[in-house]
Amino acid sequence: MTRSVRALTRCAVLTALALAISVAEGLVPLSILVPLPGLRLGLANLVTVFALCRLSGREALGILAARCLLGALVGGNLSALAYSLTGGLLALGTMWLLLHVPALSLFGVCIAGAAAHNTGQILAASVVLGSPAVALYLPPLLLASIVTGAVTGAASILLVHRVRDVPGA
Amino acid sequence: MRSSAADHARPTLWDGAVVLLLLLAAGAVLLFALPRESGPLTAVVVLDGREVARYALDDVEAPTVIEVPGAPYPISLELQPGRIRVAHSDCPSQDCVRTGWASRAGAQIVCLPNRLVVSLSGGGAPAYDAVSG
Repeated sequence: MTRSVRALTRCAVLTALALAISVAEGLVPLSILVPLPGLRLGLANLVTVFALCRLSGREALGILAARCLLGALVGGNLSALAYSLTGGLLALGTMWLLLHVPALSLFGVCIAGAAAHNTGQILAASVVLGSPAVALYLPPLLLASIVTGAVTGAASILLVHRVRDVPGA
Repeated sequence: MRSSAADHARPTLWDGAVVLLLLLAAGAVLLFALPRESGPLTAVVVLDGREVARYALDDVEAPTVIEVPGAPYPISLELQPGRIRVAHSDCPSQDCVRTGWASRAGAQIVCLPNRLVVSLSGGGAPAYDAVSG
């Protein structure tokens, strides 16, 4: 296979993985606690951080955009695209920045990424509603992001250390 | 390939600093976002960023159902003495209906498809009965 086909294939596989994780975590009834439809725990950040570590920032961005778009189409809820995209982009930017800090481990990177993901979702919701009142949901979400970020961080450390050679990289 | 942060296999001290920063941020948002506890218990209905109604829940005498004008999906609120809820909504997600009754300051009922937020403020006892000196 040529290099570009290999690159395309591995991006596609990672997108499918991120999509599967996103759909699976969408089954968690978060809307009992926070009545914002389309709110996600952010576990799909695992694929984003892996792509940032082992591939390039551009490929990570492509995977993220494809995953958010497909996730919104698959879920039948196109308006949720605003929340997943803002959350995902903010998480990508934060994690990309923090990956340059050698004093942090992937735990810190992923926790910050989860927090950025939730902040992005709340920002999008407050813009859609035209009211900053939903900021009240941010503190419990930030606390939850410590937990989800730690889970994602642990998984990503395993992933990044085991999968050193990505075919075609 | 940036892997400087990915080289650690265990959490570092600075990860703890990130967590601490998050806890502080959560506390700060809580401080700023909580509405005042003073004044009569009021429900403010904001539709699409504009305030469309304001109800003094303490003055409500009998259960009243009010239709919110101008909402994309027809939605009605039920007011009772001291509490409010979404009685009925045609929105697809129904999160607003499932939220149930709101009766304390800071409680919110959000209907995202309608871009509607009902937020409560006031209703607490004043912090001081009297100040002298």
